[in-house]
Amino acid sequence: MAEIDIHADGVEMVKSLCYFCHANCGVLAYVKDGDVIKIEGDPDYSNQGGLCCRGTSALLHVNHPARINHALKRVGEKGEGKWEKIPYDQAIQEVAEKLNKIKEESGAEAVASAGGTTRTDDWARRRFLNQFGTPNGFHNALLCWIPTFMAETCVAGWSPFETDLGAARCLILWGMNPGASTLPGMHGYTDLQMGGLKIIVVDPRYSETAQHADLWLPLRPGSDAALALAMLHTILYEGMANYDFIDKWCSGYEELLEHVAEYTPEWAAPITWLEPDQIRTAARMYAMNTPGCIQWGCTWDQIGRASTTGSHAIALLRAVTGNLEIPGGDGMPGPAMNYLTDEEMEANEALPEEQKAKQISRFKLTSWPGYTLISETAKRQWGKTLPTEWFCEAHGPSVFKSILTGDPYQVRALLVNATNPINSYGDSKMTLAAIKAVEFLVVVEYWMTPTALFADYIFPAAGALERPIIVTHYGATDSLMGGRRAIQPKFDRHDDYQFWKKLGLACGQDPKMWPWEDLEEAYSDIIKPLGLPIEGYNDFVDMVRMYYPPLHQKKFEAHGGFWTPSGKVEFNSTILRELGYPGMPTYIGTIENPIDTPELAEEYPFVLSTGGSFMPYHHSEWHNIPKVRYLLPEPYFSINPEAAEKMGIEHGDWCWIETRRGRIKMRADVEPVIDPRVIFAPRGWWFPERDGSADLDNPFGCLESNVNVLTSVDEEHCDPMGGSWANRGLLCKVYRCGELDEYRHEDTLFSIPGSASEPGIHDMHPSQRPLAREEIPFTAPEANVAAPPEGVEPPLEWDWKIGAYWQPATGYVYDESGWLVNSATRAYHDLWTGWRYDSAQNLLVDDATGDVYTMEREPVKFIHGIRIYPGVETAPYEVPDHLRWNVEAGYAMLPDRQFVYDPNSGWMIDPDTGNYHDAYYGYLYDASTQTLLDENTGNRYSMSYEPLVQSGTSEE
Amino acid sequence: MRHHFWEWPIPTYLFLGGLGGGIFCLIAILSMCVYPNEAIIPELLVWPSFIAILALGFGCLMLVVDLGQPMVFYRAFVKSTSVLAWGARLLTVCMIFGLIWFVSYLPWEWISGLANFFAMFRALCLAIAGIAGTCIMLYTGIFLSTLKAHAFWATPALPVLFTVSALSTACAAITLSAGWWPFELNTGSIEAVLLYTAAMHAIHGILHTVDIILVACEVVVLLVMVLSFLGAGNKTANRVAHKWIHGSYAAFFWVGMMGIGLLIPEFIYIFLGGVASSVVAPVMVLCGGLLLRFMVVNSDERAPLPGEDRYYNRLVDHDAEFIHKWTYGENVF
Amino acid sequence: MTRYCMVIDQRRCIGCHSCTAACRMWNELPTDIVYNAVLNEGVKGEWPNVHRNWLPTLCMHCEKPACVPCCPTGASQQDADGTVWIEYDKCMACLACVNACPYGMRDQSKLQPRLHRFVRKCTFCRDKRKDDPSAQPYCVATCHQKARIFGDLDDPNSEVSKLVGSVETFRLLEDLGTEPQIYYIPDLGGVRK
Repeated sequence: MAEIDIHADGVEMVKSLCYFCHANCGVLAYVKDGDVIKIEGDPDYSNQGGLCCRGTSALLHVNHPARINHALKRVGEKGEGKWEKIPYDQAIQEVAEKLNKIKEESGAEAVASAGGTTRTDDWARRRFLNQFGTPNGFHNALLCWIPTFMAETCVAGWSPFETDLGAARCLILWGMNPGASTLPGMHGYTDLQMGGLKIIVVDPRYSETAQHADLWLPLRPGSDAALALAMLHTILYEGMANYDFIDKWCSGYEELLEHVAEYTPEWAAPITWLEPDQIRTAARMYAMNTPGCIQWGCTWDQIGRASTTGSHAIALLRAVTGNLEIPGGDGMPGPAMNYLTDEEMEANEALPEEQKAKQISRFKLTSWPGYTLISETAKRQWGKTLPTEWFCEAHGPSVFKSILTGDPYQVRALLVNATNPINSYGDSKMTLAAIKAVEFLVVVEYWMTPTALFADYIFPAAGALERPIIVTHYGATDSLMGGRRAIQPKFDRHDDYQFWKKLGLACGQDPKMWPWEDLEEAYSDIIKPLGLPIEGYNDFVDMVRMYYPPLHQKKFEAHGGFWTPSGKVEFNSTILRELGYPGMPTYIGTIENPIDTPELAEEYPFVLSTGGSFMPYHHSEWHNIPKVRYLLPEPYFSINPEAAEKMGIEHGDWCWIETRRGRIKMRADVEPVIDPRVIFAPRGWWFPERDGSADLDNPFGCLESNVNVLTSVDEEHCDPMGGSWANRGLLCKVYRCGELDEYRHEDTLFSIPGSASEPGIHDMHPSQRPLAREEIPFTAPEANVAAPPEGVEPPLEWDWKIGAYWQPATGYVYDESGWLVNSATRAYHDLWTGWRYDSAQNLLVDDATGDVYTMEREPVKFIHGIRIYPGVETAPYEVPDHLRWNVEAGYAMLPDRQFVYDPNSGWMIDPDTGNYHDAYYGYLYDASTQTLLDENTGNRYSMSYEPLVQSGTSEE
Repeated sequence: MRHHFWEWPIPTYLFLGGLGGGIFCLIAILSMCVYPNEAIIPELLVWPSFIAILALGFGCLMLVVDLGQPMVFYRAFVKSTSVLAWGARLLTVCMIFGLIWFVSYLPWEWISGLANFFAMFRALCLAIAGIAGTCIMLYTGIFLSTLKAHAFWATPALPVLFTVSALSTACAAITLSAGWWPFELNTGSIEAVLLYTAAMHAIHGILHTVDIILVACEVVVLLVMVLSFLGAGNKTANRVAHKWIHGSYAAFFWVGMMGIGLLIPEFIYIFLGGVASSVVAPVMVLCGGLLLRFMVVNSDERAPLPGEDRYYNRLVDHDAEFIHKWTYGENVF
Repeated sequence: MTRYCMVIDQRRCIGCHSCTAACRMWNELPTDIVYNAVLNEGVKGEWPNVHRNWLPTLCMHCEKPACVPCCPTGASQQDADGTVWIEYDKCMACLACVNACPYGMRDQSKLQPRLHRFVRKCTFCRDKRKDDPSAQPYCVATCHQKARIFGDLDDPNSEVSKLVGSVETFRLLEDLGTEPQIYYIPDLGGVRK
């Protein structure tokens, strides 16, 4: 066995980052002759040398024989699996021509793009899409953080997602299982728990994390909103809220108190399957042990129509307990002030307004309408805003439906970047049909996924170790971490920046808009505002690696308010109301439940929860890496022994899990890890070892064991605000799979809306289907303050949310004093010109040009930094007697010499040379010898006008 | 349990080793102790000795074939004091001296010089081969019983059982093969015929009696071992015993092992005669011996670590599709 | 004297299998070889009053290993510091040691060429310590939860000897008398519902 010696000569250690999940652990790569020979965890990074199954197997990923290494062009039928390797640039050219043709025929919006998670620099994609002119970029963002982020931002002005656990006394891990998803986090929780931190875990499953909880709430899957509302009720009605904080920093308390009156623990108990006392205990534990944190869990955004209601209620839990932005509470980092945010890299100004309106999404909070309101507020209050990538996207399933139905218009081309939508988006059967049906499919991938199989062109992607990495949490935080490229991309692989840049240029975009040669260059521009004494990005990684801004807690005190429209934590959100949603969380149940759909509950007796991280996989990846797959070769779902006995299922049996939308096969893991009424099925399964082209109904077995066959993306099942589709709290049945019970063609048939019993498209107009909640008509209240004078440019508008007129172009708010106020800096600006008032000098400053004006808006003149007053009769400052006031020039001067007197320093400056002269004789000051020189005679004097003896300094 | 580490060559080897060792043991006893002065007795047993050499040789071959790196096999002779190393040495000694003894009886002209030379050491060689053979019989059982991880093996009854079984199969093998080539009966001489008949009768008689006793012993030892595990063994041994008595091995155990391997031949030996007793029963005894080795070796259950079964039951066989689908070093796309 | 041992804290383990995967990468093991499986018996108890224990395993590096004396070629051996290891080119894969080990910690890969198979087992990352005596086995270094602690039991100041001395620990199959050198700190459960 050849042992590889990392201490051998010629082995270089490169600081890189793991690139397989969101934790982005530090990795040390040992590179020899342009190839990584070993990696290990970086002991000096937050992961303390730890790497999980995925990270540690990076080399298997990089060197996998089935990685896509060259640009592939389809030569056979779609899905036939016949490819021709062509040069990368040729493929780019051909794709660009086709995209331009589609744009010409059907408009740019007919081109959509799906992206994968933490495999790409998303700003590069948005930069391309914006310039191309399509608003239809999307991710699985709506299942992951974004709706929550937006709801939280509506409440408090930014998402309180950063934790300060060292000072916390209580931590709620709600619908998250860091024990199987983000291991560095779990390490911290465990350490702190051993030091006394109380951990409450909300999880229907006895997960790796629940196992270590102090208090575990095994609720009914999908009932999170009810639990959160009942906890909110308990805290408010038991008087456990932080009233100082509420008084000072919040608005709408009375309304909220009334609103949650009905959400008692007794009301929530039958919905959540918890005892009322369990709910009270949790509420008390959280409210009485402040400061405390609630960590965001992916579940919040996967409950379908009840998603954002839950996360909205949780956002209020934090607010009423005053756990926002305090030591030990949930920190709100805000956008990065000290380096370029993702948003500044996206070129959003390139996308015309009329194209924004064409974005395929009916869910306003996470698309252009909501983003615009939130972004306006953020720009006003923070000065910067969220990226549009992730936070303002098309609704993925609706795009797939539009491919099949042409509603609201026909999407003709799909650019898929490092994702496998068939496995990772809801309603897989429909998604597969859309992937097959789309006219032009381009895939940038690592692997031959079921999606890539149907592509017209496949581009090889460079990934972990082959690209530099910068971690800014999707451009939503103010800290950053960096990792270097360990090796140049192998074969013809390109990182996604190169792909989008090349494609953009080939589509005819302006080369000036793609100024960076490579990612390192782009990244060094991102970090340039930090002003670090470094050359380039690699230096940053080697010497700095992590940037954290100085202490950033209690920013709201320095800022004088929160970053919402009103400057308060809004219990009754103005932005949500303006969008037509309830301003306070109003309960709505899961899409399928015994109360709303009793007939379904009869046929499908079990509650199904899908998703959830599990080692050693991440999303739908790693199934094709034998050494990883070996650790868990087959899909297992969890079922309680009691239920299993009733259904005649034994451990290891292959079973069918069926919902209204279809059925899948998995093996039974019979253990009391879950309630007897619940089935838990993990996500992502496909079988890359099979021949994909052999069965195009079910290529690579991508439907057979894929839980997304069971999930629903019907409009009325999606969260009406954020658009999250329903992955949890579904109803299902489960039964044993007979020996001869094969996966059949009928099992692959899809329908819109989703129903396995009636395949086909029944509803040609999904965009006319009702949403889960009717819109609440909203008319903005009339202005109730004095209007600003007419004719201000750019124009001012009334915004009811802030109760003031404001200037959308600049974000400045019109103040009753007649000035405009920049809410981010608290600076006053001139109403007519926008120039900033400089109170120290009592001047107006045009920050764009640096020009300075008087209060009368007259330009202020300077000579070498000395303000002059041409035409002023008497000097506005004290002038020494021997000097003469030059009215025409506007400064004091020596009688015989045109030197400008500087009243601040008492020196005179030669306007031609900028040299300093003394104010009495006009001698030139020689800084090198600290002497004065009479230029006429050549004599030198000391600073006190004593003649100096002509010694070494004489002019000989 | 992960899997049965030892596959078919090992039980085969244990069976053949015991058989060969047993034959040499019996030849030595018969020709040196029971009939020390009858020259015809060893001559009649030359063919069985050849069978024994073949068994030992083939057994060794099985052992070596099963190795991962057979070229390292030589180290077993020089480096170690382990039971297995001693077994290898005993096998070699037994084979070499048995072969010399065998060669000394070869009637061929071309080898007569060597044969005559070896004939001088017949007694010594047979003694050594006999002692080594006895040790081999013991060793096959001791070898397994020292592996204490396996409750079913780690019992003193196992060496006894294997030894008794080895002897009984050896009896059966000799019964089947005594008196063949290279012994040539001079049918022209009445005396020779009488002598031959008497000797064969004596050998068969003794072996017949001995085998009846051995088979009876084996039944007793086997039942004692299995039933004691069933009643009093630790959890693992208990589980194996249950498997034998009324589990997945019950058919093999009751029908194959007890019935065909022991009780029916015993019945035949005692109550029937003729071909049934001299051919059918020995063959059944041999089959029973082989089956015994397979059943014992496959009963290699360890006390599982908590959760071990659950873990390994989830893993796939090494021939699963995904393991062989891709070969590192190649590039598909 | 040095006596290497490992303490495994079941209170910290979350069953992520990272040690297993990391070991397979660092030691470049064939796909079908696992040195350090993380076992669990499944969740026990009746819902929702349940408990689960993770049992990370590896070679116990016994003080009195059953696998060394039975080796006919001398390939299986024990260092003075207690590390039990196999010299691969001396191993003929007779599997005597595999059957001797009461913990099932040895195996041979069936994916290797027929005449180049040998028995493998955890080496406590012996090769890592050749260059750097303070190096930790890779399963220890990679453990996010720091559930595995490695060190010298004979050094009274090492973390392992402090733990073994002060915390209730247990060892696996102690009654076999092999003196295993992997100590477990039990997780006695106690999740409050």
